[in-house]
Amino acid sequence: VTPPKTDLPQGTLDLLILRIVGLEPIHGYGIAQRLQQLSRDVVQVPQGSLYPALHRLEKRGLLAADWQPSDTGRDAKFYRLTSKGRAQLKEETANWARLTGAIQLILRDAKGGAA
Amino acid sequence: VSRRDAEIDDELASHLEMAMRDHLARGEAPREARRRALLELGNPTVAKEETRSVWAWTRLEQLATDLRIGARILWRAPGLSATAALLIALVIGGNMTIFSMVHAVLAKPASGIGATRLVTVGWVTDGEEHPVTSYPNYVDVAAASRTLKPMLAQQFGRVVLTPRDGSYAVQGATVSTNYFDTLKIRLALGRSFEEREGLSGTAGLVAVISHHLWRERFGGTPTVIGQPMTINNHAATIVGVAPPDFQGVVFSEHADVWMPFASYAEVDGQRQILTDRLAQAVFMIGQLAPGVSLSQAQAELATIADHLPHVPGDRARTRTVQLFAYSATAAGDSLVAQRGPWFLALFSIVTALTVLIVYGNVANLMLARAVGRAREMAVRQSLGASRTRILRIFVAEGLAIGSVAWIAAAIVAFWATRAIPRMMPPLDGQGSRILFDFSPDGVVLGYALLLILIGVVCISAAPGLRAQRQALQPLLKAGEQGIVQGRSTISNGLVVLQLVFSVLLLTTAGLAYRSLSVLGASDLGLDTSQLLLVTINTRSAAATPQANGALLDAIVDRLRPLPGVRTVTYARRPVQSYWPTEQIAGGVAGQAFAAERDEVGPDYLRTMGLGPVAGVDFGERVTHQGAVAVLINQRLAEALWPGQPPVGRTLRLGSYAQPVEIVGVMPDAFYNGYRRQPDANFVLSSAAPQPQEMTLYVRYSGSLDDVVPEISRGLRAVDGRVPIVYTRTMDEQLEGLTWPIRALTVLLATFAIGSMLIAVMGQYAAMAFTMRRRVRDFGVRMALGASSDEILASATREGLRLTGAGLAIGGVLSVAAAHGLRSMLFGVTPTDARTYVGVVVLLGAASLVACYLPARRAARIDPMQALRDE
Repeated sequence: VTPPKTDLPQGTLDLLILRIVGLEPIHGYGIAQRLQQLSRDVVQVPQGSLYPALHRLEKRGLLAADWQPSDTGRDAKFYRLTSKGRAQLKEETANWARLTGAIQLILRDAKGGAA
Repeated sequence: VSRRDAEIDDELASHLEMAMRDHLARGEAPREARRRALLELGNPTVAKEETRSVWAWTRLEQLATDLRIGARILWRAPGLSATAALLIALVIGGNMTIFSMVHAVLAKPASGIGATRLVTVGWVTDGEEHPVTSYPNYVDVAAASRTLKPMLAQQFGRVVLTPRDGSYAVQGATVSTNYFDTLKIRLALGRSFEEREGLSGTAGLVAVISHHLWRERFGGTPTVIGQPMTINNHAATIVGVAPPDFQGVVFSEHADVWMPFASYAEVDGQRQILTDRLAQAVFMIGQLAPGVSLSQAQAELATIADHLPHVPGDRARTRTVQLFAYSATAAGDSLVAQRGPWFLALFSIVTALTVLIVYGNVANLMLARAVGRAREMAVRQSLGASRTRILRIFVAEGLAIGSVAWIAAAIVAFWATRAIPRMMPPLDGQGSRILFDFSPDGVVLGYALLLILIGVVCISAAPGLRAQRQALQPLLKAGEQGIVQGRSTISNGLVVLQLVFSVLLLTTAGLAYRSLSVLGASDLGLDTSQLLLVTINTRSAAATPQANGALLDAIVDRLRPLPGVRTVTYARRPVQSYWPTEQIAGGVAGQAFAAERDEVGPDYLRTMGLGPVAGVDFGERVTHQGAVAVLINQRLAEALWPGQPPVGRTLRLGSYAQPVEIVGVMPDAFYNGYRRQPDANFVLSSAAPQPQEMTLYVRYSGSLDDVVPEISRGLRAVDGRVPIVYTRTMDEQLEGLTWPIRALTVLLATFAIGSMLIAVMGQYAAMAFTMRRRVRDFGVRMALGASSDEILASATREGLRLTGAGLAIGGVLSVAAAHGLRSMLFGVTPTDARTYVGVVVLLGAASLVACYLPARRAARIDPMQALRDE
């Protein structure tokens, strides 16, 4: 039984990619797998938008990439974080924490008011 | 770009491979593993395109890609693409050609002129426009004006030139000394005039000759500079040779000799024209000073004209100026200059209409193909191509067709504008052709580009819109026909639109043609058949008006008894676009009138095929001494002495109110050629004119080839010093006056017929296409018992319904358009029945054929075959 899937909120995919790539250099398929595992299958990444997102980040200079042999033996494109990407990750993570904290506050207060 | 593509492909492939391996590891069958891996990735085409589009950084790059796609699509359907490009190329090429010519005729300066921002100064006396003014007026205006600087003056005329080897009649102009400098013309040889040569009292006459004359008469040797020759019996020295492409500022009056105005007047004993403000002689062109607009110059010149000295005896109440941009034809009271704006307006309408017709047609072609490709587009959309993307494909196709068509159109236009001048008649009888440069310039190319861009929008919008509205499902289902059943409103709408434009164009061209045919020779009121015009020059043979009169009488006496000659007369001015206007006074109330005047010889009316309404013709002899006799036309007689016999009364003629006796009344006719006002007044006088160019009118019988040599022998026998300037028939003369308009009208008509054919072809294509789509429908009906004749009738009727709609809408619009153009129509009403009936019959017949042929094919199908094919 698969748990219900949730679409990612707009703009969060970039943050998640940065986070995962920040752990170790990794290829696109690996990122998709890791996202699924880490979110316990809740986050369904539309894989059609994964590669445009990766290339967009690469173009912005947040990610760098090179071709290395993968564990299948075939060459795969491995992405890693640039220093600019690392700074961006830090800033985005802080932003996200602030935002979710604020949303939590609102949700909790509203609930209390209604009760 | 392609390396990036390969990399994205590799990346996605490695992704798929890894995903498949994981699925296999979970124990899935290979086929299932592949399916699930693909499913997870989503639409690979979309993923690839979107990933690639991250890197597509400029719109230009996208445009290039689109163009490449467009070109590839076109390449796959060469027949249809070529047809579309050819149709557009032809119509745009044709338009460019006409636009180039109209532009050249109406807007360009005469060839060889380097100066820009030139302005022609026209004069308006009591509301009537005249191209000329007096020399002292020119001097005063030129000295006072700050907005038009410099300003030149010229007077055109024919002269007898006598170099060492004989006498020749050539065209010449007397000009202000700044003439060549103002026009920025660099002489091929020698020098231009010096300022002192323009002052009276200088010794000796100098002249600049044309390149053509230099080559023909002076052997093209440099020693011509400083060489003496005789012009109109006056010794002159050649000081310069004009460049080869320059032959004067007005295209119909090209000159071979130029002399300074003032010093020529001096040696010619016409000193009075330098001071007489009533002697309307010179034509003026000025250059706008830097930063000055035409309206500023107009305002300044109007003020200057107001302050010109008043002359005792001048009956004109108001004299003012009217400036207009100079062009080789916008000079003088010529028919071209008058009708120019009319043709320009008409041309704009025609252009818009023909182009729209062709675009409607090509759009229909593209639409027909888009229907055939509906399945392909549906597949593309289902694979994730966005609707914008699909529209872009159509635009790309349109752009590719447009680019090819533009280049082809430019080639057509360059070729045509070079070919057409070779077909034009020489304007004068000396074999020199008009120097016209019709080739398209930047303005014309830009104009064509604009038309093409509009076309690209039209031809991509129709199929594009269709694709937007299309439902995908039925097209993708296996076994379903790739073609949607039913009728296409867009396509039918386009056919009707084309027919409407066609009707508009045909009626416009028809009305223009009818206006022109109203200007036909018969409507001059003269008998123009078997009438020969022989222009001679008496400058070298006679010195005074009296001697000139005697010479002319001697010539008439000599020619009259020749075989084949019925009557002979002469006139100071032949039928031409401009006769000078004189003020006349007399009549019951003593009021003043303006009338065009000519000096003519014996038997004038008889030679013109007319007779006097009252009184007498000039008879076999005219007196040159004592009281001058005149003939006036009926209209003038009615205006001066309503209800009373005018014969025997006295009329006062000209600025000096010279008394003359009316000997006869002549019928109203256009003695001088075509005029805008049909109610012109004419006065013919028997006074002998100054020795100059004269035209003999010979009414002949038999063959022209026999008469012409007899006449030249006769002239030589009277006086060998009288050269024949040129000989032509009256019909040729009239044709020379109207050919530009005739040519433009023929072009208009060609265009209208051409676009009708295109519209009808379009209807045929749309009809054939509809019939093909409805094969199944017809098959069913025939299987149910409909006869082939019934199918034929119903299909034809259906097609003709569009024709009916087109004719009705087009007819209404045409009447409205013609009402708008009413002031420009000559002699026909906006609802001219003949034009409309002609258009309905012509278009109806062509349209019937276009509907009948495809309908017949539809009626001939075998119902079983049709049903089985489904």
